[in-house]
Amino acid sequence: MNRIFRWILWIAGIIILLLYPWLFGIYDTNVFVLFAIFALFAVSFNLLLGFTGLLSFGHAMFFGVGGYGTAIALTRIEGLALLPAVGIGVLAAILLALILCPLLVRVSGTAFAMLTLAFGQLLYVLALKLRDLTGGEDGVGGFPIPPFTIPGVVSIDMTDPLKFYYFAMAVIILSIWVLWFFTKTPLGSVMVGIRDNANRVDYLGFKVPQTKAVILVFSGAFAGVAGSIYAIFQNLISADDAFHVMNSFAPVLMTMIGGVASFFGPIWGSAIFAIIDEVTTRYTERVELVIGVILILVILFAPMGFVGFYRIVKEKWSSRRSSKATMEVSS
Amino acid sequence: MSILETNGLCHDFGGLDVLFDVKFEVKEGERHALIGPNGAGKTTLFNVITGTYKPSGGEVFFKGKDVTGFKPHQLVRLGMGRSFQITSTFTWLTAFQNIRMGILSKRGIRFNLFQKIDKMRDVTEETDRVLKRINLDGERNIPASMLSYGKHRSLEISMALATDPDLVMLDEPTAGMSKDETHHAVELIRRITEGKTAVIIEHDMDVVFSLADRITVLHLGRLLATGTPEEVRENQDVKDAYLGEMEE
Repeated sequence: MNRIFRWILWIAGIIILLLYPWLFGIYDTNVFVLFAIFALFAVSFNLLLGFTGLLSFGHAMFFGVGGYGTAIALTRIEGLALLPAVGIGVLAAILLALILCPLLVRVSGTAFAMLTLAFGQLLYVLALKLRDLTGGEDGVGGFPIPPFTIPGVVSIDMTDPLKFYYFAMAVIILSIWVLWFFTKTPLGSVMVGIRDNANRVDYLGFKVPQTKAVILVFSGAFAGVAGSIYAIFQNLISADDAFHVMNSFAPVLMTMIGGVASFFGPIWGSAIFAIIDEVTTRYTERVELVIGVILILVILFAPMGFVGFYRIVKEKWSSRRSSKATMEVSS
Repeated sequence: MSILETNGLCHDFGGLDVLFDVKFEVKEGERHALIGPNGAGKTTLFNVITGTYKPSGGEVFFKGKDVTGFKPHQLVRLGMGRSFQITSTFTWLTAFQNIRMGILSKRGIRFNLFQKIDKMRDVTEETDRVLKRINLDGERNIPASMLSYGKHRSLEISMALATDPDLVMLDEPTAGMSKDETHHAVELIRRITEGKTAVIIEHDMDVVFSLADRITVLHLGRLLATGTPEEVRENQDVKDAYLGEMEE
């Protein structure tokens, strides 16, 4: 019964996703793409915070490098196809993770947060200063967006927002699925062990730094995917979009609001963010003010975020129902 | 044949000598108790042997191999297991998941990214077998932090054995337990260390004399005596050390 219900839910979700552009129009479709990009970004971030216990204040560096990688590749290499362009962005993010991981895997807690913050800021400054490569404050924009092609089969124009929506969704959902699968593998369970008690993981015969390095590369790679899709979606990537410290805080806030203890929490967080952003901008420019108030309320009253809050309510509800049932039986 | 041997082992914390010239030997297949008054350096000796600290002097041999300064995971892979005096489990994970970590390590499943762990039937079966053996099958899906103290300690001890080590080092396995819980723990230790070599730090003399084949006494960082329970019981230095502590 439960299984069938879950399947129905999945199928309904997929149908809604497929029909979304027709149901809500192109403006809301673009809002949805942005939400999905940040959902992937936040999920990749939560691999570190929620599953490994590492708070990163510089996760935007992987997002940014992914975005710049794709944007620069499309600007410089003539006739580059779409998927290789995304691939170059992701490879750039992986490369960054590989370069940083010898340092990052040795630390945890505050030191990890500060180191990631420092590297994030370093990349922000580099993006501004290396004008020849990154275009300085203007960023890299107006690059040609190649169609999605499978040679000899199809060629789909990606400048059409509707078609791009399907492409972006396919990439993002596949990425989130890979990350979800990652948490279910043996390595994923070692990862949770590191969060709970890194010392004991060592004493059970696992190499903690090496495991953390693999997680870091995974997390960075998929933040890179998000950044790469973002760059293509906006046809622009700039230092403020990519590397600004607020962009590093976005996944932190989304994860906190959505629920750190759950895989899907950050997706909810990203959705809540997108909705708040849409609603508030109709009345005021001060979106951060509203987000700030909500964050305070969440931390005070629902420290496990939206998902945690939902679980508590559900538990209360079912226990009330079951106690009612037992009362009826006893009376 | 000795499975573990230390030679002139020294350790100091910033000038304070905690271990001095310790020659400690454990024979294969025995249960060896390590005793001594508080502050004798028992846990430090454990830490130096199992890789928490690098000794400041001397050597450690495990199965005839020089393992001085090896990291904990290297020693575990060579067949050494360890439990902690202060319970050190994965508190958010269930009893099942805690033990499963040891089983994964034992089977060398470390960087597997292509299989769901829940679908690895042999891992699940083996973990359930271990849980049954340590009487925790009723608590299979309870987070470690929610277990009763006695059960939590059993889990702590059993995790050291889940990797199927040849030598297991138990740091005060009965710490903080009631008489009843201690009795159960001793039975558990006796059962699961069958056919293995075990080194046990213990304060409870009843436990020591009922479990140990040989005893080593540590006092103020030095090795005071080592021998069978009878030998140690009759040793004058040991009597002095323990009586001396009582007089203070």
